[in-house]
Amino acid sequence: MIRSVTHPQTKASHRAHTRRYQRAWLIMGVVVVVALFFGVSGYFNTVSWPALLEAVLHTTYRLAIAYAIALILGVSIALLVGWSPFADLFFPVFDVLQNIPSFALIPLFIYFLGYTDVMIILFAVSSIVWPILFAILTAIRSAHKDLNDAATIFGAQGLRRIPFYLAPLSLPAILTGSIVGIAIGWESVIGAEIIASAGGFGAFIKNASATGVSEAAIAGMLAILVIVFVVNRVVWAPLLAESSKRYAE
Amino acid sequence: MTLVLSRVSAAFADEEKDVSALKEISFSVTKGGFVSIIGPSGAGKSTLMRVILGLMPHSEGTIVRNFSKSAMVFQNYALFPWLSTLENTAFGLRMQGVPRPERDRIAREKLKEVGLEHLEHHYPNALSGGQRQRVGLARALAISPDLLIMDEPFSNLDTITAEALKADLLKIWRDYGMTILMVNHLIPDTIELSDQVIVMGAHPGHVEKTISIDLPRPRDVRGPQFFKHVDMLTEIVRKVS
Repeated sequence: MIRSVTHPQTKASHRAHTRRYQRAWLIMGVVVVVALFFGVSGYFNTVSWPALLEAVLHTTYRLAIAYAIALILGVSIALLVGWSPFADLFFPVFDVLQNIPSFALIPLFIYFLGYTDVMIILFAVSSIVWPILFAILTAIRSAHKDLNDAATIFGAQGLRRIPFYLAPLSLPAILTGSIVGIAIGWESVIGAEIIASAGGFGAFIKNASATGVSEAAIAGMLAILVIVFVVNRVVWAPLLAESSKRYAE
Repeated sequence: MTLVLSRVSAAFADEEKDVSALKEISFSVTKGGFVSIIGPSGAGKSTLMRVILGLMPHSEGTIVRNFSKSAMVFQNYALFPWLSTLENTAFGLRMQGVPRPERDRIAREKLKEVGLEHLEHHYPNALSGGQRQRVGLARALAISPDLLIMDEPFSNLDTITAEALKADLLKIWRDYGMTILMVNHLIPDTIELSDQVIVMGAHPGHVEKTISIDLPRPRDVRGPQFFKHVDMLTEIVRKVS
């Protein structure tokens, strides 16, 4: 899972995201039709829906907590580093760190934290935090020199620079970083659950596939798709539309 | 004197261009004066503004800053996109800790002076270039500067918009009695506005010539005296570029 996220906050990527969301409606429609067809044909009759629901909710819960921690961590570190005069120094260091494949570190997580929620959550944090951190640092570093000067001249100096200038400046980057981070987060949580058999949706599809019964796995994937789609439509798409409008030149 | 520069040099590596530098810049700006800086690109005009404001260090020479507060108006406006017109205008006051009712009152006053009181809830992305520059001017005026630095404030605006803003700026300058230091790129504008013109040359940036414009105000921009000055300045600028 090596993924270098360089400029997720650019206007072009904003537009790309917006386009992608429009297309998502179409894909979602197809998914729903396929699911209904399967459902009507009796394909899902063997699926244990309570177990699936529990597994999906468990995974979603882990991801939500992991995202919240990664958001706080990523935003604070990025703003502090971006505020300090050492941003250029830290950037290559972070770049090396984020390129360490997180799954290579999973034995360490398991060794120290066991097969627990905490292990899964902290493991996911270690992969979600990077896109958020990089998006913000890139936004701060690439801010127009005049805007920086304006902030300084009109008094956003010292620590006040963070809440009054750097944080609002980074808002679009926090959004795009979050969207990429959560996408990576799903992979990390489910991947870790599969590897560690630590409950949740990952362990659910692992068990479902091991016995050759894949109806449950397919039902589960459809459930995840619906959650991802709803969260994107309800949370991210409106925020993204608003921010790309407001922050456009 | 509001500002005195004596043999000021500065050197730095610019990522985008080559090495820009300022070499032994000397001039002084009278209190309440309108001084323009004109010169080819690469003369370090913007760099000089940043050095004067203390945003960039200078390596040699002395700068006497005999003003209590400076503000700046930018070529590309540099408004904060996340703040409304009113909030942008009140930004400097907010940073000074002025309470909200007071700073909103002052900001509204300044917006009225630049003719934008009806747009206080708009965000920069909903404003035209001319309106944005007026917000930039209102933001600068709000902190009551005694030195106003303007870096090519009209160069992104169309002629009609620029003419209107220029007239308003002259009125504001008369009313406030502040000192204005403006980087300019049009010779007629420079002659119309300034008491004093500093012509800079490039590579490295240096002061080529300082000239006084003592035409009476308000200036007749179609009279022979005006054109004589335009000719004279054109001749000087041609030599350095």
